[in-house]
Amino acid sequence: MTDPLLIETAVRVFSDTCTHEAIEAAERDGWAADIWAQVAEVGLPWIALEGGSLVDALAVLRVAGRYAAPIPLAETGLLAGWLLAASGLPAAEGPLTVVPGRPDDTLTLVGDRLSGVAHRVPWGRAVNQVVALMEEAGAWFVAAVPRTGFTVEARANLAGEPRDTITFDGPARVAPAAHGVDAAALRYRGALTRIMLMAGALDQMSRLTVGYTNERVQFGRPVGRFQAVQQHLVQGAQDAALVGIAAEEAARAAGGGPARFEIAAAKLLANRAAQTAPRAAHQAHGAMGMTREYPLHHLSRRLWAWRLEYGDEVFWSSMLGGAVARAGPDQLYPTITSGSAVLEL
Amino acid sequence: MRFEPTELTATELALQKDVRDFLAADLQRGTFVPGLGMGAARDPGFSRKLARRGWVGMALPRRYGGGDRSAVERFVVVEELLRWGAPVGHHWVADRQSGPLINRFGTEAQKERFLPQICAGELSFSIGMSEPDSGSDLASVKTRATRVEGGWLLSGTKVWTSGAHVNDWFIVLARTSDEPDRHEGLSQLLVDLRSSGLRVNPIPFLDGTAHFNEVVLTEVFVPDELVLGEVGKGWVQNTSELAYERGGPDRWLSTYLVLEHFLRERVGSEAGADAAMLLGEATAQWWALRRLSLSVARQMDRGEAPAIESALVKEMGTRFEQDVLNGVQRLVDLEPSLESPSQFEQLLSRAILTAPSFTIRGGTNEILRSVAARGLRP
Repeated sequence: MTDPLLIETAVRVFSDTCTHEAIEAAERDGWAADIWAQVAEVGLPWIALEGGSLVDALAVLRVAGRYAAPIPLAETGLLAGWLLAASGLPAAEGPLTVVPGRPDDTLTLVGDRLSGVAHRVPWGRAVNQVVALMEEAGAWFVAAVPRTGFTVEARANLAGEPRDTITFDGPARVAPAAHGVDAAALRYRGALTRIMLMAGALDQMSRLTVGYTNERVQFGRPVGRFQAVQQHLVQGAQDAALVGIAAEEAARAAGGGPARFEIAAAKLLANRAAQTAPRAAHQAHGAMGMTREYPLHHLSRRLWAWRLEYGDEVFWSSMLGGAVARAGPDQLYPTITSGSAVLEL
Repeated sequence: MRFEPTELTATELALQKDVRDFLAADLQRGTFVPGLGMGAARDPGFSRKLARRGWVGMALPRRYGGGDRSAVERFVVVEELLRWGAPVGHHWVADRQSGPLINRFGTEAQKERFLPQICAGELSFSIGMSEPDSGSDLASVKTRATRVEGGWLLSGTKVWTSGAHVNDWFIVLARTSDEPDRHEGLSQLLVDLRSSGLRVNPIPFLDGTAHFNEVVLTEVFVPDELVLGEVGKGWVQNTSELAYERGGPDRWLSTYLVLEHFLRERVGSEAGADAAMLLGEATAQWWALRRLSLSVARQMDRGEAPAIESALVKEMGTRFEQDVLNGVQRLVDLEPSLESPSQFEQLLSRAILTAPSFTIRGGTNEILRSVAARGLRP
């Protein structure tokens, strides 16, 4: 059970700080120092590390997704912070990020020297420490590099969130990763953060679309009264509901174990919804939704970007379906009812 | 609109295990022809057997032969029956909606008369809503009950009445008076399907099966004691009946066995890329849909009336049932036949032939979207 006071705090902070103008400015400037400061002030980036539960931290992330918060909230505590904690390395102050691990990365670790290029690193330009998970000779290591130890080439995802290319060539603090912390574990945990953000964005997208179509009048009545438009509203609400319950289940399961089935299934569903929900929402909004001044794009562009991070739907459906086939037909329904308690991924 | 996530309790999980054990032992695969969810065969013997276990009318009060169990417990039982393809046809409608409706609106005498027999798996019901000129627009029904000494004379025609030729009773929505608001003046009547003046004409289904009927009522006498609930308040009662009809496992499990048998007969343990993606996606969707549906059942147990949530789940679930079928069809190079010895092919053929009905029966998806959209309004 998530702490309601915590969610209240998160809603207050994000709704105060993540205004339309502030999100636009963050995209233009590549960093939102003010939003970060206020979110950090109440401790939201470090909940899971400082006495709170993973489930609480994930619930806060869902709120962040609702408000399209343009800060490395997932990266700081849940990903980089987790890797550091799992290897006994100290975390720097302020925002942190993690190397997600793309196929075209060229990182090598020799002793405590990290060199090479890492791609799609969230907010690389703005953080005080980058954390990378490295495999050397069959063992997993966590490497942490302070701001002075890398150079940044600014890149962005479809939502204009920084996804920088980072070049390392120097000393890192290195420690063996805790048991079970490997590239797969990072991918599941990364996917879990995107699921929460996407669930939040889908909630807000549905709310925004229902609100707009209730106010916009054509042919003498709100366009939301037309059946053809209602179809889009229902699609958006269904996507939000399905991904919402999947996200809550995945978060709950992750609070008690690896939750691989739940994460794979939820990310797959969120990725699907990232196609169907924005399509419906944009159609219902008409041209207004295509403008920069209207906030729909803060959500739709994020959904399109997050869909491709930590595994697209081809990746997760193949992974999940392969395991379902290996378990055999008699385990199919038990998997549907009991998830990772029955199916190993 | 809110879907609260919920987990099964230890008692509910134990019940799930009981049902699984029962089916594995008493209804072994290969000893019966599995059906497609609620479209499964009728077998009064099986219904009585389930009833002896306490799994028919289980959410009805104990003093009428029920189990005083919850909507979630009923959910746990029926999802296992449906995914097994068990022959639930005989008791299905009575268990899902007629029994709960009588329990909610019926008189003490009606409850004592009908509920124990429903809970015993004996009494079967059909649904008396649709008419030749009234489908989605149910308030336009023309079947009329006219006041006579001691009761009503009922005349009109009902259609798409599944099982009317074999079932015992149906609950008829009829006009009992003309009012300025056409949602007033409707009533529900309990009608014996063997009444004099009642004729059942078969309407062959497109796949050649015979379960659909037209029921012609010509001055059928219905005594006062068989009016269900309040005269003139049939619309509200009928709406609550629809809530029982929507949002349960029967709305997303119709093609489950097609996929299970696809896996059994056509995929094996090493799935190709396309089959793996289909299996992964379908499993994920079932997992999440089931969670939404379970959340609806939990809401009902809290005494809420989740009409909007049910409509949303049914609309989504029935489209998904069809999508799974299309997904399987894309992956098999096969001209399926009902006569095939392959269980998979039989199920696939039956599913192809009946799939369009999934998004029609119990309220078309267009109507469901209107219901859901009304609930979304700020």
